[in-house]
Amino acid sequence: MKFFPSFLDVRRALLVAVLLSASLVACKKEDPRWSEADKKSKEAIEAKKEAQESGALPKPEEGGSFNKFFPKDVAGFDITASQEKTGFAEYKLKKDGKDLAMIAISDVANNPQAADKFKTATKKIGGFPAVDQGSTATALLVGGRYQVKVLSRAPEFTKADREAWLSKVNLAGLAAFQATK
Amino acid sequence: MSKPIFELVNELPTSGATVMSLKALDYVVPGEWQNISGFENMITLVTGESDQSMIQQIGERAITLYNDPAEGYQRAVWLYQTASSVGGKLGAAALANKIGESVSFLSFLEKITPKADKAQAIDFGIKVSAEIIAYAKTNGIPGDGVAEFMGAVGDYGKESIMRLAALTCFDGLIPLGPDFLQKMEQFIGGLAPADLTSHPAFTAVASAIPGGGVDGQLGFIQQGFNSIKGWMGNFVSSKGLTPQGVVGSLKNFIDVSDDKLDYVAAFLDTTTNYFDYTGTQTVARRLIERAVAEI
Repeated sequence: MKFFPSFLDVRRALLVAVLLSASLVACKKEDPRWSEADKKSKEAIEAKKEAQESGALPKPEEGGSFNKFFPKDVAGFDITASQEKTGFAEYKLKKDGKDLAMIAISDVANNPQAADKFKTATKKIGGFPAVDQGSTATALLVGGRYQVKVLSRAPEFTKADREAWLSKVNLAGLAAFQATK
Repeated sequence: MSKPIFELVNELPTSGATVMSLKALDYVVPGEWQNISGFENMITLVTGESDQSMIQQIGERAITLYNDPAEGYQRAVWLYQTASSVGGKLGAAALANKIGESVSFLSFLEKITPKADKAQAIDFGIKVSAEIIAYAKTNGIPGDGVAEFMGAVGDYGKESIMRLAALTCFDGLIPLGPDFLQKMEQFIGGLAPADLTSHPAFTAVASAIPGGGVDGQLGFIQQGFNSIKGWMGNFVSSKGLTPQGVVGSLKNFIDVSDDKLDYVAAFLDTTTNYFDYTGTQTVARRLIERAVAEI
C-alpha cells in the first residue's frame, strides 16, 4: 500500500470528483419532455377514479374476460398470454421462436381519449372502424368500447398482416359481449 | 411516492460495475440484454416506433400507468429495488456504478466479507420470491402466481432472462459452487421462521410476500425455490455453466481473481445491482408494451 499519492493518483482523484459532480447535476435535471406529463398524470388518475366511483365513467372490464376472444390455435404460430390487467389483455404472436407481433384488447374506459381517433376513421375491418397508428400499429374499435390492436414487432410483419390478424380476433363475439353490458 | 418511470429508466447507468457484469453474462444468454439508455430509446426499442408523436403518446400513457399504484408496476419496481439493496451495499457501490472506470477487486478485498452459505441461501430464496411476486404485479396473474410464473419462465427473454442468468451465476454458482442448488435446498428446506425474521433481507420485503404470517411466508419462499430449482438446474447444465467459466468471462470486463470465489461473490454483491437494474428495464418494457396498445 502506498501512503503518498503520486501526481497521477491526484489527477485521477480529481477526474473522479469532476465526473461524480457532473453525474449528480445530471440526475437533478428534469426531463422536460416527460416532467409535465408526470404532473398531469397524477391529477388524471384521481379524476378517473372519482368519475368511475360516481358512475360518470364506466368501470373497465376484467382483462381475463377478453381471453376467449383472442385467436389461439393457428397452425405454424405460437400465441401466448403476455399481460392481463384490469381492462387490458395482451398476447404475443411468435413464429419459429421469433416475436412477430402483439395482439391486445383494451377497454377504453381506462383511457377514454383512445376512442377519439376512430371518429375520423376512413376504413373498416370486420365492419368496425379501423385506423393505422404510427408505423407499427393498426387498431379497430368494437361497440365504442373495446379497442383491438395488432402491433408489428418484426419488419416482415406488415400492415396487411396486422389487418389479417385483427380479423382473426373474435370481433363478433366481442361485440356480443359488449351488447350484454 | 417513488420516482417516475422515465427518471428511473433515464438514470440507469450505461457504464460501471453492473453494466460490466451483465456484459460478462452475454455469453450465457447471447444478445438478450441490451444496455439501453434513456426512456425515449427504450420506447423505440420496444415498439420499433420512430414517429415522434406516437413516442410522446406512448411515453405519457406509460408514465400514467406507472403512477397509478393500483396497477402494480410501482410495487414490482419496489420489490426489485428492495430485494437488490439489502445485501449490505457499501457506499462505494454507488461510486462504482457512476464512474466509467473499472473497479479494482483488490482494493475492495479489505472492505468485504463473504456471506455465510446460509445467509446466501436466504437471500437467494428471497430474490426468487421477489421475482415471482414482481412478475405477477407486472403481468397481472391472479393468485400467488407460483404455478403461472413457472409457465412463464420458459418464455422469459431480454432483460428478464438476463436477470435469471445473473441470479444463477452471481448468487448461486460463484458463491456456492456447481452444486449450489442442492446446498440451497438443504438450507432453505431447513429454515425456521426465526431465521427469516432475523434476516434483514426478509424484513425489508416481508410486506410484499404472501402467506399471512411468517410461517406462511416461509412456505411461499420454500415453494418458490422448489419451483425454480428444476428450471435452473436445466439452465446450468444445458449452457454448461461453471463458476470458472463465469469468472473467466467476468475477467474480460472487471478486474477479479478466480482463486477466491467467495470474495468474488461478495464483491459482485457489493458493487453491482443487476436485480434492480434489469427489473426496472423489465417493468418499463411491460409498461411500454401496454401503453402502445392502449393509446
